[in-house]
Amino acid sequence: MISLYDFELSAECYQVRLMMAALRISYRRIELDVYPNREHESPWFLKINPSGRLPVIEDDGLTLCGTRAILEHLTGRYDPGGRWYPRDDPKTRASIARWLEVAERLAATAGAARMHDTMFEHADIDACRAGAHALFRALDEHLWFAEQSGHGWLCSQSHPTIADLACFPDVMLSEEGGISRLPYPAIRRWTDRVKRIPHFATMSGIFSASPARSALT
Amino acid sequence: MSAIGLTAAGDASDPIDRWFPVARGEEVVARHIVQTQLLGREIAVWRDDAGVVNAWENRCPHRGVRLSIGLNTGTELHCRYHGWRYASGSGQCTYVPAHPGQKPAAAMRVGRFGAGEAHGFVWVNLIEPAEPPHLSALASAQATTLRSIYARAPAVTVAACLLRGYRFALDPTGADDSPTDAALVASDAYTIRASVHAVLREAVVTFLLQPVGASQSVIHGLLETTGETSGVDADRLAVLRHHNAQMTALRDAAEELC
Amino acid sequence: MRPQIESLLWDDWHAVADFEQLRRSGRFVTTLLDVPLALELDPETDSVRARAGGAPIASLRIKYGFVWVCLGEPVRDIVEFPECGDADRLLGTAGSVRVAVSGLRAVENFLDLSHLSFVHAGFLGEEPFTEVKPYSVESSARDGLTVTGCRVYQPKASPIAREGFEVNYSYAVLRPYTVVLYKANPVEQDRRDMIALFVQPVSEESCVAHLLTCYLRHGVEAAAVRRFQQFIFGQDRPILENQLPKRMPLTAGREIPVRADVASAAYRRWLAEAGVRYGAIPAA
Repeated sequence: MISLYDFELSAECYQVRLMMAALRISYRRIELDVYPNREHESPWFLKINPSGRLPVIEDDGLTLCGTRAILEHLTGRYDPGGRWYPRDDPKTRASIARWLEVAERLAATAGAARMHDTMFEHADIDACRAGAHALFRALDEHLWFAEQSGHGWLCSQSHPTIADLACFPDVMLSEEGGISRLPYPAIRRWTDRVKRIPHFATMSGIFSASPARSALT
Repeated sequence: MSAIGLTAAGDASDPIDRWFPVARGEEVVARHIVQTQLLGREIAVWRDDAGVVNAWENRCPHRGVRLSIGLNTGTELHCRYHGWRYASGSGQCTYVPAHPGQKPAAAMRVGRFGAGEAHGFVWVNLIEPAEPPHLSALASAQATTLRSIYARAPAVTVAACLLRGYRFALDPTGADDSPTDAALVASDAYTIRASVHAVLREAVVTFLLQPVGASQSVIHGLLETTGETSGVDADRLAVLRHHNAQMTALRDAAEELC
Repeated sequence: MRPQIESLLWDDWHAVADFEQLRRSGRFVTTLLDVPLALELDPETDSVRARAGGAPIASLRIKYGFVWVCLGEPVRDIVEFPECGDADRLLGTAGSVRVAVSGLRAVENFLDLSHLSFVHAGFLGEEPFTEVKPYSVESSARDGLTVTGCRVYQPKASPIAREGFEVNYSYAVLRPYTVVLYKANPVEQDRRDMIALFVQPVSEESCVAHLLTCYLRHGVEAAAVRRFQQFIFGQDRPILENQLPKRMPLTAGREIPVRADVASAAYRRWLAEAGVRYGAIPAA
């Protein structure tokens, strides 16, 4: 069984929990005492991940650190149809890579603002919020045109990919860092869509969506 | 009094009793709640499964939690805090889960604003009028709603920027694809028409400004083209992209002034 | 110029930092009642110095794992919990969390029973068991509020519970910004686990929630308790931050209570009678 080294309130860890839920993977959760005791910096954990960061998974003897490596590993192994991360479609893979970069920027801006506003982490809060708003503007425009093109996901597919799961947590939790989503209506519709992905998992601070309207009614 | 375009040009005083667009109609999708704001008042806009649009004060009358973080079930909004339920249309509380056997008091009702649809937009009036909006024809039935652009600038600044000059292409995907200066006419402080024409063809964008608050606004746009059209439906996206780019540039210019 | 802050708050102790958090970083910056505070730990002596807007603070103590400060002249001691002295209890802090809302709303949320089956669905409550049965509230100007006889159906009241059952809760509001919850212990049902919420009023529209847990040791592990409290509070935080206005109205005008809200209505009345203005929208 996969082991996930985890922290409930971490947006990055939540990306992995979302992926595992979507792929219906059972896993063992090893929750670290991150706040305020910083267990992720303790000697025993540094042996597992010298960078002292979460998330980390152990799968059948392999240790993977960081969201990108973990999401790529999980889809490689547990998504045989290549639905979440297509193997033979270079255009979509390139698009996914672009949005995984954006997810990292979201963590550094919206995510950092959230850690500052909730748990006293040091950050240049104004720069973080400004950076997040710039990313949200780009994301909102992209998603609007995606809707106009007949889909509703980041990577021009009729279904979500790992790009959507990677970007969702820091976007959905942005208000905890003082970043309102009122000016981003396309993002707000997209977050509802992500919440309606089958087997969507919530986390503390994120609530479920109401059921979608059935196509039959 | 509830018609668009009846106030004198440039008259921005006391706009409380008038209709403003707040969202493209097709964006007020089923089982979703739009969070928007008009003249500093937060509004939750939602559509029930029968298609009826509601514009409510974004505040549960129980403990003040925003309704926009709640649930649209197709017939009701449920507040996320204590699960209180409010019926579409009346805004009346229908159920208080803490007291399942009891009928909620008539006083338990959300604040409502006037809501209506026209020209592809949902319009809101902060006074709760009995009549739906009687909007003088802003545009023909074939008008296309453009992407709405949020600006960190007040509506008056956006309007001023716009009136200094605006350009767009008559036919972004065809022969007349370079932006040209538009003729600009303001019917009032929030409604400005920009038109570009050539022989036998004309394109008009009607800008509709939504005053969100003292320092923010939304730029909505309606596009009409008359005369020969060159592109097929597949070019629709290219047209939308072009206007999005021009309106984004307008927004950037207005923000520079702030 | 804002009127002076009421003595009830100014001349009282407030938790301002988790001591472990201060120890790890050596320094800690925060704000209390709009006054910037700088805390510093001397690693040699493990003693804490604090400055308020530049001037040293005379009234400073470490208690229950928190750093406490009084900006004025303390007229009474830091709240006292005899249970915390019991040898068979585990004391822990659950990590201090900032919230962008008046601390009074955070206290009221802690007292609230009808949100348990919505905000904490599956943990502290569940649909369709949403009914809040009548409970009792007593109010005294000096001692605060006592809320007793609360019965809450909890699907998973304890890690060892096999089925849902009704849990007995009681609360005490000891200060405007201090509230304690008592919950029957699953193993020793005639004794109670305690969770105290010390809310630090940062400004009128923001606060820090400091949580103290004081559980009987049976089968509990400190880190697991802390995780659970962080999980639960993490669910409350977005609700609190989406409450408008941010300052809490003390009279029912625009916010309509129902019978389940007897405790919160009593809390608002008690605050109004005590003359609390900071973080509140006082009675007109």
